[in-house]
Amino acid sequence: MLAQDTIAAIATAPGLAALSIVRVSGPEACPIASTCFSGHNLETAASHTAHVGMWKSPEGSRIDQVVATVFRRPRTATGEDVVEITCHGGDYVAALVLQSLLDQGARLARPGEFTQRAFLAGKMDLAQAEAVADLIHASSEQAHRVSLAAYEGHYSEGLEALRTAILELCALAELEIDFTDEDVEFADRTTLRNLIENALGQVQELLESTRLGTVVREGVRVVIAGRPNAGKSTILNSLSGRDRAIVSEEPGTTRDVLEVDAELGGLRFRFMDTAGLRKSTDSIEQEGVQRAYRMINKADIVVYVYDLACGFLEEDQTALNGLDNTSVILVGNKADLVPKEKRKGLQLTAIGGPKAVEPLVRALLKQATKSYGNADVSRTVINARHKTHLKSAHQALLDARAALSANQPPDIFSLDLQAAARELGMITGVITNETVLGTIFSRFCIGK
Amino acid sequence: MDSSFDIIVVGGGHAGTEAAAATARMGARTLLVTMSLEAIGRMSCNPAIGGIGKGHIVREIDALGGIMGSAADAAGIQFRMLNRRKGPAVWGPRAQSDRIEYATFVRQALENIPELYMRADMVTALEVAHGRVCGVRTRLGRTYGAKAVILTNGTFMNGLIHVGEHQFGGGRMGERQSTGLTGQLHELGFESGRLKTGTPPRIDGSTIDYTATTEQPGDENPSPFSFMTDELTRDQLSCHLIWTNPEVHAVLRKGFEQSPMFAGRIEGTGPRYCPSIEDKIDRFAAKERHQLFLEPEGRRTTEVYVNGFSTSLPEEIQEQALRRVPGLQQVHMLRPGYAIEYDYFPPHQLQYSLETKKIRGLFFAGQINGTTGYEEAAAQGLMAGINAVRGLGAESPVILRRSEAYIGVLIDDLIAKGTEEPYRMFTSRAEHRMLLRQDNADERLTPLGQRLGLVSEARYQRMQTRQEAVKAIISRLSEHTIHPETCNCYLKESGTTPINEPVKAIQIVRRPEVGLKDLLEAAGIVSQIVDPAPGMEPVEQLAEISIKYAGYVARQEEEAKKMIAMESRQIPQSFNFAEVNNITMEAREKLSKIQPETLGQASRISGVSPADIAVLMVLLER
Repeated sequence: MLAQDTIAAIATAPGLAALSIVRVSGPEACPIASTCFSGHNLETAASHTAHVGMWKSPEGSRIDQVVATVFRRPRTATGEDVVEITCHGGDYVAALVLQSLLDQGARLARPGEFTQRAFLAGKMDLAQAEAVADLIHASSEQAHRVSLAAYEGHYSEGLEALRTAILELCALAELEIDFTDEDVEFADRTTLRNLIENALGQVQELLESTRLGTVVREGVRVVIAGRPNAGKSTILNSLSGRDRAIVSEEPGTTRDVLEVDAELGGLRFRFMDTAGLRKSTDSIEQEGVQRAYRMINKADIVVYVYDLACGFLEEDQTALNGLDNTSVILVGNKADLVPKEKRKGLQLTAIGGPKAVEPLVRALLKQATKSYGNADVSRTVINARHKTHLKSAHQALLDARAALSANQPPDIFSLDLQAAARELGMITGVITNETVLGTIFSRFCIGK
Repeated sequence: MDSSFDIIVVGGGHAGTEAAAATARMGARTLLVTMSLEAIGRMSCNPAIGGIGKGHIVREIDALGGIMGSAADAAGIQFRMLNRRKGPAVWGPRAQSDRIEYATFVRQALENIPELYMRADMVTALEVAHGRVCGVRTRLGRTYGAKAVILTNGTFMNGLIHVGEHQFGGGRMGERQSTGLTGQLHELGFESGRLKTGTPPRIDGSTIDYTATTEQPGDENPSPFSFMTDELTRDQLSCHLIWTNPEVHAVLRKGFEQSPMFAGRIEGTGPRYCPSIEDKIDRFAAKERHQLFLEPEGRRTTEVYVNGFSTSLPEEIQEQALRRVPGLQQVHMLRPGYAIEYDYFPPHQLQYSLETKKIRGLFFAGQINGTTGYEEAAAQGLMAGINAVRGLGAESPVILRRSEAYIGVLIDDLIAKGTEEPYRMFTSRAEHRMLLRQDNADERLTPLGQRLGLVSEARYQRMQTRQEAVKAIISRLSEHTIHPETCNCYLKESGTTPINEPVKAIQIVRRPEVGLKDLLEAAGIVSQIVDPAPGMEPVEQLAEISIKYAGYVARQEEEAKKMIAMESRQIPQSFNFAEVNNITMEAREKLSKIQPETLGQASRISGVSPADIAVLMVLLER
């Protein structure tokens, strides 16, 4: 039933580094590692001990001096015997160590297989396993915090209040249906409506935090927009510190949307350079403008750039008015070309590199943290699966509210309440018919 | 009487009688062995059939050709459709019954079935050979051979009655318990448990001051249970409501010390939804009064059942307390209430056919499986009977799905979840409630009944004609155009917005405020349909329900499909749940014990979470 074979993989990221770790897990982990290792018999080594020695290929050639750390089941990450071989960095040495393990009978682990084994061994629950995946892919400090909270289980606690609220609702509806002859007070419709509103509020809050979840995982989406030749691509290059976008004097150089990731002040940003907003007869450029608008609609923040040398034109105002986005940062570029005086928005000279766009970075961070930075990490829905269930639960509650307003009988709106309970149960654990009945019996005096 | 049969049914209660009737009518030579022929079809507890959820089961039993619906119609003294003001899915037919007439009707129904033989005796042992049951032995020393045996022993196996500090063996008050079988079943490897149930005192109706009570009459236009009952013509009797008060509670409390429950003499678990009066005042101490229903036991007796006053307190305390209840100051108690403990066999030991996993040909039905209630017992008896006959011909068992019948919900719950208290049906146990209405029980199950030979051709035709009538009404409504001038007056009266231009009638019927019959009348559309089952809800109403709730029904049908898909994901028999580390200890234990055959079944086991199911999915796909 449980993993019968022994798996191995390089645990550290590829690329140059001082050290690399190769991990082997499974019933044969110690014997396999021991055949390649001279210095100590790993087969008899105690759990949680580290040993220095020479790593050798099966043919006997010396590969590297390594530290082999032995973990014996069950107190290991995967619940199986695990040996971690810390060798010198670089892809080559680690690959040789891995190859010798494979030659001795280990199997190359599939992606996520260590996590899967940990999950199957009862080392983490489903939500935690999902969080591990997110933790591995966390690319900023904030993402790390959220994933860690989910991994440690805070997240499930946050849902508990919601679960209780839904359970209460279901119980009230069922009480009215199955115990109609009983001498108990049924909830009046106002109370029910209030309870539904309350549950809706909680689901809503969690759902809104999914925006933060997305932002944390995928970065804050910043679209740089403006009329042609305002210097948008230059701003992109300076913000990212990389020479990504082609910059030219020619208006309309950028036609497609160009994306660049950058981490600024602990937050991950995804910058999108777009085609200049103008009416064009060039069909390719037209398409570029349309794409720009689509991006703007999905953006978390829009940086609108205008050319100080041309001044803030009526077309700029029109374009700005057309932005259906609350978070807009207005930037006047090419400040070096005009005398210093008070003008609209931030003034900067983007061509001056990262240093020159610092005021914009500060503005971006301020905007981003205003929206997302201080959100309660433990209540942040980061996982797409959870989000799907929350959305369905939200819809079900809306339906229940509508049914209640239409004076539908309890057996009708209870369908929606049950649906909400079911969806939520997919995240936090089941709410069964039995749970609902249990709530009724504990709260109401039932029984003729 | 030749001593060899196809099937032997042990017990003559609601499970046993339905089982025996089904097997014999399906053509199996059947012997029903019961300790007392007089007790056949006896109602041990309250003189009523049906209710919410339970009434649905009776309609299903009837649709499959069972006895219970007709018996309740014949013996009914008061009929009420509960929840009529709520949605159609939760309407629950309920009837008070004349206890004597009910039992007589059942006995006669059995007597009229050829191939059904009855014998008064007590079965003390099963004959088992090579893992297969082959007959029974009785106290009088007879051995009867059979290919299948259905045990429906109710509360009789090692039954122990408690009244105050008195306790004595018995299956019902005044009837002896049965012994011997539990021990043998243990030896065969069965696991048993103890459950408890109780019943209230019966009082002399002529000593009740009815002026102090609130009358609860039957429905003006009573609906029968059976599709074949065309009319209920007899006068109805009323029930009456009274309430306890703090004074009554104080008297009852005096008896707590002698209460077998509080003193721990009762080991079995009682039902939470049917607590004793002492339990109610103990657990809900803040509640100053409890509602009691005075239910007549019959047309030719003054005996009255005090529903809501189930108790096992000392007899004199029972009477003293009753006499403090307004309306009962002068009351004379005829029989005391009592609690009874009995053996049951946790139902995870059964297959979905109700055949035991351990002994082939041996079936369990009724309270022996941990249920309570006449209806739940009868339903199991019927299904065990059907499957015992199917087994004779090596045919596949009939297993009703949860989306097909309350009976399916009942059996699936028992086997997948087990039960720690006597199990009773509630509509909230059925996730596909919209599909399992009492009004469509015939449509759902009569075709099956007909295939099994339990439903007559005439009845089947009747059901079909009725279905066609419903369809005809719906298609007529979708074609018929209604003009504002003919219906706006009615629409305004009903509190819904008038129409501005002609629309199809069906669109108006969809509105919650509109009644189909009223609309037809207002619009001057004459219905010429002769209802083939005049006792049932009129065909117009069936049409109206299917129009109004079409959206909800479609939604539940979708959900039911998903559930069926999960049922198709088989778990190999060799699968060792004990080795799955990453599921909770509870899930591991339950899964090992029940050994579900499909992921769907596993997902319904209590204590098994979606995360556990996810683990199983991963493992099964590897």
